[in-house]
Amino acid sequence: MSKHLLALVDVNSFYVSCERAFDPTLEGRPVLVLSNNDGCAVAMSAEAKELGITVGAPWFKLAPNAQRHGLVARSSNYELYGDMSHRFLQVIGEHSHEVEKYSIDEAFAGYGGPLQGAGPWAERIRRDIAERLSLPVGIGVGATKTLAKLANLAAKRVPGMRGVCVWDGLDAEYRDWVMSRLPVQQIWGVGPRSAKKLAAHGVTTAAALRDADAQFVRRLLGVTMMRTVLELRGQPCIQLEEEREFRDSLVFSRSFSTPVSTREIMAQVMASYAQRACTRLNSRSTEAKTLTAWAMTSQFNSAAEDSPSATLSLPAPTNDPVLLTRAAQALLPRMTEGTRYTKAGITLTDLSPRGAQPAFDLFAEPQQDKGIGPLLQQVREKSGTDAIGMGRGGMRTAAEWEMRREMMSPRYTTRWQEMLEVHAR
Amino acid sequence: MSIQDIRAVPVTGPAMEVPMMPTAVQAGFPSPALDFVHESINLQEHLVYDPPATFIARVSGDSMVGAGISHGDQLLIHKGTRPRDGDVVIAVLDGQFTVKRLRLTGTGVRLEAANPEYPDIEVPELSELSIWGVAYMCLHGLR
Ligand SMILES: [Mg+2]
Repeated sequence: MSKHLLALVDVNSFYVSCERAFDPTLEGRPVLVLSNNDGCAVAMSAEAKELGITVGAPWFKLAPNAQRHGLVARSSNYELYGDMSHRFLQVIGEHSHEVEKYSIDEAFAGYGGPLQGAGPWAERIRRDIAERLSLPVGIGVGATKTLAKLANLAAKRVPGMRGVCVWDGLDAEYRDWVMSRLPVQQIWGVGPRSAKKLAAHGVTTAAALRDADAQFVRRLLGVTMMRTVLELRGQPCIQLEEEREFRDSLVFSRSFSTPVSTREIMAQVMASYAQRACTRLNSRSTEAKTLTAWAMTSQFNSAAEDSPSATLSLPAPTNDPVLLTRAAQALLPRMTEGTRYTKAGITLTDLSPRGAQPAFDLFAEPQQDKGIGPLLQQVREKSGTDAIGMGRGGMRTAAEWEMRREMMSPRYTTRWQEMLEVHAR
Repeated sequence: MSIQDIRAVPVTGPAMEVPMMPTAVQAGFPSPALDFVHESINLQEHLVYDPPATFIARVSGDSMVGAGISHGDQLLIHKGTRPRDGDVVIAVLDGQFTVKRLRLTGTGVRLEAANPEYPDIEVPELSELSIWGVAYMCLHGLR
């Protein structure tokens, strides 16, 4: 009997795996990837986890003992990770006609065929990505996205599965056993707040949520969580294309009363627009993955027409005003000093609902968590939009956009000057 | 021009790129130029057979000059393809990417340099070697 199933393909320790793909000396060693400015660990290898290092650990504390543990740190090399992510999706696309990019290192892929064929199909994808990209992946296959995510967790954690788990291929008793041990907050789409509410009603495991009364869950947490319940029962509710409703964009732009012609003033404009765009992200409970900062001259001024723009892919979906303000400064080197720009703006794309990506926590920037965003927000609500600002938006001299990345590996696949070196000796 | 092949185009597959053709065609007399509309040769398309698994690397050293691979040349490397006897491969030796010619002999595996000043390396079995990829083209500048 032919079945339609969904696979979630996810790269293990993605950032570290990208580094290892081009540097064999990192194999088997504890490896960390550091946040912007080499502040703290944002990703790490299994060996580094075994040393007790956790996400957010500040590098300055680890550095003195690094050599003793054979610990290696790398600055984050977003260009490399972005390019490898693209290749990863291309390879998956060779195995499935339905592919949805879910995050930098995760994709859903559709499978149609007999149930017995799903395991070998997933295994072929796993091997193909390992051989052609040197990236280790885990693959979970299920009748719904939620079950594919859950199977993916099992694929990684259950040693015998060796990276591939077809949920529907397991026997019912075993599936119950796994679900009854899986804390409810580890299910896709269940955030800490929802988990707390569910726990208050005795729903603490995946099994309990699956068996909960769907209408009761709907009243408690809304229709989205009810869908999660149905998906846990194997009833597809979250379609591959449904994500699109979040994939719109958010634009903040204004025409200037007086043209802007210096980088210094444009820096202030960008900082201030980035923070207003943030306010909008927050009010919609969304986060952005891509930022485009742009400016243009008057359409009536064809003599000195210029419309510079810079697009940045952010390391993770974010609503962090610090990060977005910095990212918006990327426009500055693209503009021509002295040209009279009459309009500028910030476009945020690749929007996703905040907190909808629990698996992504690993890559989250630490300062983006709670903290500064809501604080700025509160001050603005109380005292007006211009009462507080960050960086140049706050009319202070801020750090340069150039990040500190002292331990960055070459951008092997995106820069000609930095390509891989092979030795003939 | 005549129509030789009519078939359904799948709408779910990857997007296809179609060269731009002049759309306004005079009725009655087809423009002979239409038959010659073509895009410029795209090097990427002809030199990279498997885009996601193709990588480029710069050669450092002169141990492969006999194979036409000089210091400073760029190699196009296909990753994940099965290496055959006689292939130029990128092998991982002592944690370094090293260019050698692979020889699969009846008695074992040999990694050969293409320069008499460098020794060959013998390995009992292919499985003991870590081959990162197969170099299939060398870009050698002439000026
Ligand atoms: Mg991952």
